Amino acid sequence: MARPMLGLVPDHRTQDINVLKINGISVVFDGFSALSEVNVEVRRNTVHFFIGPNGAGKTTLLDIICAKTKPTSGTVYFYPKSRSPVRLTGMKEHSIVNEGVARKFQVPSVFVNLTVLENMILSLKGHKGVLDSIFHRPENDDFDDIDRILERVDLRERKQVKAGSLAHGEKQWLEIAMQLVQKPEIIMLDEPAAGMGKPETEKTGEILREIKKTCTVIVVEHDMEFVKQAADTVTVLHEGKVLAEGAIDDVLADQTVQAVYLGRGGGEPPQTNVN
Amino acid sequence: MSQVINTLFNGLSLSSIILLTSLGLAITFGLMRVINMAHGEFVMVGAYITYVVQQLFVKYVPQSLFSLYYFAALIAAFLAAAILGCLLEKVVISRLYGREIDSLLATSGISLVLQQAARSIFGSQGVNVNAPSFLTGGLSVGGVTFSYNRIFIILLVAVTMAAMWFVIYRTNFGSQMRAVMQNRPMAQCLGINSRRVDNLTFGLGSGLAGIAGCSVALLGSIDSTVGQSYIVNSFIAVVLGGVGKLAGTVLGSGIIGFAGITIERFMSSSIAKALVLILIIVFLQKKPQGLFTIRSRSLDE
Amino acid sequence: MKIVEKCKQNINHICFGLIAVALAIVPPLISAGSVSTPTGIFLGKCIAFAIVAIGLDLIWGYTGILSLGHGLYFALGGYAMAMYLKLSATGGKITEFMHTGGLTELPLIWEPFNNLPAAIALMIIVPGLLAGIVGYFIFKNRVKGVYFSIISQALTWAAYSVFIALSPYTNGNVGITEIKSVLGSIRGGANQGNLFTLFYIALGVLILIYALSAYLVSTKFGKLLVAIRDGENRTYFSGYKVSRYKNFVYVLSAVIAAVAGAIFVNFNGSITPSQMTISYSITMVIWVAIGGRGTLVGAVLGAFIMNLCEYNLSSGALAEVWQYIIGGIFCIAILFFKGGIVGLFKEQIPARIRKLTNRRSKEGAENG
Repeated sequence: MARPMLGLVPDHRTQDINVLKINGISVVFDGFSALSEVNVEVRRNTVHFFIGPNGAGKTTLLDIICAKTKPTSGTVYFYPKSRSPVRLTGMKEHSIVNEGVARKFQVPSVFVNLTVLENMILSLKGHKGVLDSIFHRPENDDFDDIDRILERVDLRERKQVKAGSLAHGEKQWLEIAMQLVQKPEIIMLDEPAAGMGKPETEKTGEILREIKKTCTVIVVEHDMEFVKQAADTVTVLHEGKVLAEGAIDDVLADQTVQAVYLGRGGGEPPQTNVN
Repeated sequence: MSQVINTLFNGLSLSSIILLTSLGLAITFGLMRVINMAHGEFVMVGAYITYVVQQLFVKYVPQSLFSLYYFAALIAAFLAAAILGCLLEKVVISRLYGREIDSLLATSGISLVLQQAARSIFGSQGVNVNAPSFLTGGLSVGGVTFSYNRIFIILLVAVTMAAMWFVIYRTNFGSQMRAVMQNRPMAQCLGINSRRVDNLTFGLGSGLAGIAGCSVALLGSIDSTVGQSYIVNSFIAVVLGGVGKLAGTVLGSGIIGFAGITIERFMSSSIAKALVLILIIVFLQKKPQGLFTIRSRSLDE
Repeated sequence: MKIVEKCKQNINHICFGLIAVALAIVPPLISAGSVSTPTGIFLGKCIAFAIVAIGLDLIWGYTGILSLGHGLYFALGGYAMAMYLKLSATGGKITEFMHTGGLTELPLIWEPFNNLPAAIALMIIVPGLLAGIVGYFIFKNRVKGVYFSIISQALTWAAYSVFIALSPYTNGNVGITEIKSVLGSIRGGANQGNLFTLFYIALGVLILIYALSAYLVSTKFGKLLVAIRDGENRTYFSGYKVSRYKNFVYVLSAVIAAVAGAIFVNFNGSITPSQMTISYSITMVIWVAIGGRGTLVGAVLGAFIMNLCEYNLSSGALAEVWQYIIGGIFCIAILFFKGGIVGLFKEQIPARIRKLTNRRSKEGAENG
């Protein structure tokens, strides 16, 4: 188990291997400690899962990386491929996205009154200024990219359909596609398989393994089958603390993890999908 | 020194009227996420009811009992505004739950209708209420005069607040109301008829506006726009204090009232209005949290 | 077949075109005597109302930000124009109400309004700057929904009381009255030429602003406005600085409102602080709501229909009834017809027809 060292000054030498360093993050909501002193390093081009019972702080952790929530203490560093490290903590949401850290939310959030194609065009990388949005037209390459990505999630035929009339699973995929077209270095997915059937879940797993070639994938998930299928590394969170970390089989063999998941620790079985 | 006390006193009385009107807004918004633009018109209804009750007393009640009209008016104004509120909730607002902006618009349509109704019935000229005899004059303490009607308004608001506190925190209905406010689906599961709670709460909030109308009637002439001039302040107080938080509303009303009166001492009252607004926008720069944050897994609600 | 498809796609623009053509033949009709001059002047004001409705629709219908304070920007544009017109009437000298207010010479604020280009520049810059500053602070902190509406309303209310308080400069409650249009008087038979030119200028501005807005909403910018309306946070997480977009569209619609105000003054011959009130601002929202928010032609349609109804009903005995009607219709529209008139024709009636035909064909199938 690779437990990262505690230390206030982050060790930037590891940036060839790592893409993200979560350094001593704590969050307190109205006296309730949602996360305490969480330290995690995410390696480049891997699929990294965060699992844990409800209320373990998984979604909060994603919220902190993308600045939806401010941490009480601690910092998150992002190591882009050929640029100098970026301190994500303290940045605005949209700047983080433009640095190359994309996020898909748990409840599918696409723009319901726009077509699938328009949703994708809005998500293209770059040209996010007001004047650009009026005068800049996407180039042919961009449309090719969109087509390629939509093909992968089976939505190419439905380009002109309003996103609001897609099925739940299709919305999930559209949102993933919207993140991919931004060409991020890190893509964060909050329960991408929620509300999906078995074949769809498997397909999502395939997509994840494919996209990790070009970027790093961070996933929060409940569905253990899905975790087993897709994960490279797993971090188990429990009551706001890192309980264990490593390959999926090692983690599942861990005594404390079993205790938490099998109910003796007050948690719940991993297959339940309450949300 | 006497000027300072006088300013404080006027600030207190203005704050208490704002509090009375904003309290109704705050509880309806907290409970139903509905902004009632016609709330000002409930103040107007209360003021006109006071006038009507006074006229009735002049006609049918012996002169010696005339001063008592005000107490009858208080009850009548509360009831009239509350019944009107319940009706409005049943007919319009119950169809607009969760559609904040639409509720604001629909009720502003209602507000147009009510204002015109007032003009049709009472004419566009303002009418005046004779303050009951025990409220004329004032109490002089060391060179400072506290007018009786302002003292009365402050006391009235204090009593109303105490009653509200009792209703919200000490009665069965109050605990149902708080339950619905905090977790509507759960409250429904526990067998609370949330529609009835909504309806009564809306009526209660409107009734408070009616009482506010009664006290406004003591301070000046009544016309169809009398509610409007108080309601903008109340809206701002609600926003400032944190929507749905009653203690915040009390604080917000206090800030608006005192700031307005204090600035008015140095400048004209209209400049004071503008300055208070600027102060509030600046304040919201410092503390937008607590007022506007939502915590939810879904990104946009 | 293709032409039919094209027409269907551009039905909104075609509707607007028809309105514009109908307006264009108003001056010949006045010459022919089938439309009275006061009605012509009134239609000129309606053009101004249609322009402000377009601006309001951009920010409310498309972006979902309900401003209850556009009367302020309308009036600011109107006052700028009125100040120029007043000074050209007095020959650049101090006006009567300033005398009454105790001023002995023309105040500095009035000086630039001696000159038309400067007045027009200020007519755009002042509202634009005010909207920009207010919007910057409000949107930066993600004040939205009803909170924004309340603050915009309070802003209008504060500005209204300031304008009344500064009566030596603004003539308080009375406003700036007894002014002619930029082209001179438009009233009376002898000045019909002026009225016609002014009318066509106003119509030109309306077409220009419609075309500009139609272009904007067709670009990615327009899609972003809709995106912000439907999912503001998602738009942030797509990498857009939403507050900047909101501020941009707020300033844009404020400037459009100011232009409308300036045109209004030319036809109306006066401007009063009542154009700056909350209730006047809400009236503007009503036009857009009735016509159909989220479509530009709906805003134009709403402005014309509501004002024409008011013009015909509010004289005489029906004046009282009109207020009830407008309040009632507005309330019903919000409750049951979210898309206004345009939505009624585009969605609700077709849906009803489809339902009926479906039922009929089902019955037919069952019978057969």
